[in-house]
Amino acid sequence: MRSVPRWLIQTLWLVVALGCGWIVLATPIAADLALFVPRADPVAELLLEQLRNGPTTRLILIGLDGDSETARAAASRRMAERLRGNALFARVANGADMLPDAELRALFAHRYLLSPGLTPERFTVERLRTALQARLAELQSPLAVFQKRWLASDPTGELMHLLRLWQGGIREPTKRLGVWFSPDGARALLLVETRSSGYDLIAQRQAVTAIRDAFADVSQGTAVRLAMSGPGVLATLAEDQVRASAEWLSVLAFGAVVLILLLVYRSTRTVWLGALPMLAALLVGAAAVGLIFGKIYLITFAFSMTLLGETLDYPTYVFSHRRAAESVAETVRQLWPTLRLCVATTMLGCLAMLDSDFAGLSQLGVFTMAGIAAAVATTRWLLPTLVATHWTPPQPAAIGPWADALLRPRPRLALVLGSGGFVVLAAVLIKAPPLWENDLAALSPVPRELVRLDQELRNASGAPEIGHLIIVTAPDAETALRHSETVGAYLARRQAEGLLAAYDGAMRYLPSAQSQQRRQAELPDAATLAANLKLALEGLPFKPGLFAPFLDAIAAARTAAPLRPVDLSATLLGVRVGTLLFAGERGWTALLPLSGVRDARAVAAELPPLENGQVYYLDLRAETNRLVAGFREAALQRLAWGVALIVAVVWVGLRSWRRVAAALLPVLLALIFTVAALLALGERLSLFHLVSLLLVLGVGVDYGLFFSRPGADADLRRRTLHALLVCCGSALTVFGMLSISALPALRAIGLTVGLGVAASFIAALVAARPLLTRMS
Amino acid sequence: MRRWSGWLLACWPLLGLADDSLAEVMRRLAAVPAVEGTFREEKTLAALEQPLVATGMLSYRAPSFLRKRTLAPQPEDYEADGDWLTVETPTTGRKQFDLNGYPQLRPLVEAIRATQAGDRATLERYYRLEFEGTPAAWSLRLMPVAPEAANYLSAIIVRGQDGRIASMETLEPDGDRSLMTIRLASPP
Repeated sequence: MRSVPRWLIQTLWLVVALGCGWIVLATPIAADLALFVPRADPVAELLLEQLRNGPTTRLILIGLDGDSETARAAASRRMAERLRGNALFARVANGADMLPDAELRALFAHRYLLSPGLTPERFTVERLRTALQARLAELQSPLAVFQKRWLASDPTGELMHLLRLWQGGIREPTKRLGVWFSPDGARALLLVETRSSGYDLIAQRQAVTAIRDAFADVSQGTAVRLAMSGPGVLATLAEDQVRASAEWLSVLAFGAVVLILLLVYRSTRTVWLGALPMLAALLVGAAAVGLIFGKIYLITFAFSMTLLGETLDYPTYVFSHRRAAESVAETVRQLWPTLRLCVATTMLGCLAMLDSDFAGLSQLGVFTMAGIAAAVATTRWLLPTLVATHWTPPQPAAIGPWADALLRPRPRLALVLGSGGFVVLAAVLIKAPPLWENDLAALSPVPRELVRLDQELRNASGAPEIGHLIIVTAPDAETALRHSETVGAYLARRQAEGLLAAYDGAMRYLPSAQSQQRRQAELPDAATLAANLKLALEGLPFKPGLFAPFLDAIAAARTAAPLRPVDLSATLLGVRVGTLLFAGERGWTALLPLSGVRDARAVAAELPPLENGQVYYLDLRAETNRLVAGFREAALQRLAWGVALIVAVVWVGLRSWRRVAAALLPVLLALIFTVAALLALGERLSLFHLVSLLLVLGVGVDYGLFFSRPGADADLRRRTLHALLVCCGSALTVFGMLSISALPALRAIGLTVGLGVAASFIAALVAARPLLTRMS
Repeated sequence: MRRWSGWLLACWPLLGLADDSLAEVMRRLAAVPAVEGTFREEKTLAALEQPLVATGMLSYRAPSFLRKRTLAPQPEDYEADGDWLTVETPTTGRKQFDLNGYPQLRPLVEAIRATQAGDRATLERYYRLEFEGTPAAWSLRLMPVAPEAANYLSAIIVRGQDGRIASMETLEPDGDRSLMTIRLASPP
């Protein structure tokens, strides 16, 4: 290495860094759950598709509270008016929505093919007579002026059935003052559907802003308050929260680390030198992922950042071990065997992740391995070229007698600590508190009260839960509709049994052509109908011939072409149907959102088999949780392999089981204490905790290796203590700050790493040396 | 043009007189705090061979409570209170509407309620008014201002004596009409 000129190393590093930076910039970042999805899992793929594009993810629920009921209703109405004029929204419903006259006419024209539950019985003498009597009663009402319009051509009231269906959707909320309200009347409700996916954060942000603006306008001079929810709203809020929180926390943490380095070493150079390995790690890691996978998941990036926290320690080891008597290159060379082992253990810990079924896990492995390698290479070869041969930090490790006091072997304390660790482990194993958090929602950065609001709004408005839906796939729209009808009939039975409250689906609005034709065939012929009508009219005061338009309409309906999805394009009805029935890459998909599901397993159990099509029951939450649990299982399994590899490599490096024990037992103790402390704090372990524990493992092994360094003299040990104090101190500061964050994920990482690093340090300090000295 | 202006000039005092009388009638109507009575409504519809007859009770309480309870041939209950309209029928159950949200309903309610309240400003928001007669026996013709309202309503003619409404006749553009006559219960 001595032969390689400095400038060559520096240029090489710069070229690699810039090249990696360029690759990273060209790598698309994906922000979704695909990370957790194992390859070749069809249900999981449907789940992802739903989460990305499903109509339920496009719903925004709006609640208006405060002020008087009249004010809330008025605000609801004016807001709906404003939003309906906005192209961002496919549908704005508040209970007072009316169809444009043209669409009303279209609906009216097809009433005998579309009207729900239209059976031949409706045209028997008896039923006709009942209908006619009802119409007669309506004529008496003061509202008759509006209803008269349809009397002659629709005496059986099919249009009203259709309108009720159209307005109600899946389960209509209670109406007060003509608009939707929560059951207690405290909140006016609107349901808005965006045209863009709930995961298109840019479009969702526009939609949220449009709603806020509309509200600001219509609520002027009132005390009405706006509450908003829905996947898109929550996602934008989450992004805001993460960004705001992560921004100030990272600024704060960065400042703190800089301050610590400045205070300890009294040199600005240590700051930027210290940042170089981490920078290299991020660039090379991300570039490696980009090259291998073509894209990088946002969450991989976040996890990898955490894992790479270890690389901040490398330069610190160098700074604290600098002795005036030797050159920088010599110091690094002396540290190299230990540092090499530190790096090797971390990389091997990640090796097992590489060929995982989960893209996310593989990415994490690649990122960390490449990053750690780059960081250590930077420390080993670049750092010495950037300073004078004999450069030392102005404030060299200032270590007094207290260090020796700290370092004095305390075998008894070590014994207590060790046995304490196993007692704690036994206690955890016996008590077996709930260990894992499977619910992704628990990791969501969205504040709990917003999640509750979402549930409230959803319950009140009868909007389909995001949770449950049935997916039907078929080669064409007509088949998809027929299958939906089969499934719908099954659901109706289940509904009657009380297993679910309601279901929706395109077939409710637009029956399959087959069903329409069946209805057509069942419509009475002109002579029968005329005869029935004549009998039904007997004794009723309707003028003769009044219902000629009705007879004509039925006659026309018997030969009309059925209404198909294409006929509805560019209408409000088409939008409603289009969110529930659409063409995809593999044929057509029909969705049947469910609400108020009481027994998902029972509903899913007996779904009718479909010919030439597939039907899936998707419980999004259970499915997501299953994926997360599967991901964790895989990660743990890989981790176990990783640990075995770590033990092996440490043995290869140290060639002594006692030394292996001295290096690794402290971190084992630290992990036990950390997990126990987390459980005692009431935390459940999520993926974020798990990844943080991985970092603790990496850092803890380093501490153990350094404290049990072979051939260290007293001065070297003091310097090691100094280095590890600085490392541990910075880690505690940074992660301690994260632990006070309100975001569950940041809190989990901060708490775990903070506790783990402190525990590792103490355990390594107390236990590593006694384990080693006992040997000699 | 000249003929028109001459006619206008000739009518001016009369118009002024009518206006005075209308103001007086409005004042008398407004002075009534509450009133109850029975009604008989006869609807003549193009769709039907014979008129539909309904009977029931009417009650009013100043300033904005009006209830029309039909008893025969089938029960129906309409209650307007402020901006709310509550409708209850045996087939549809009880439903509430915000009159602000149903611009087509409001004029129908105000024709009788605002008249009984002597609330000329509200009446004139929905109707052009034509007054005939004297405060002792008058007739007020209400013609809808909004063009949409004119689609289903030609005019409503309210007749009365002093501060009491005696009858209300509704004329629709398709020739359908209804006449509601009101018999007041003697005040308690």
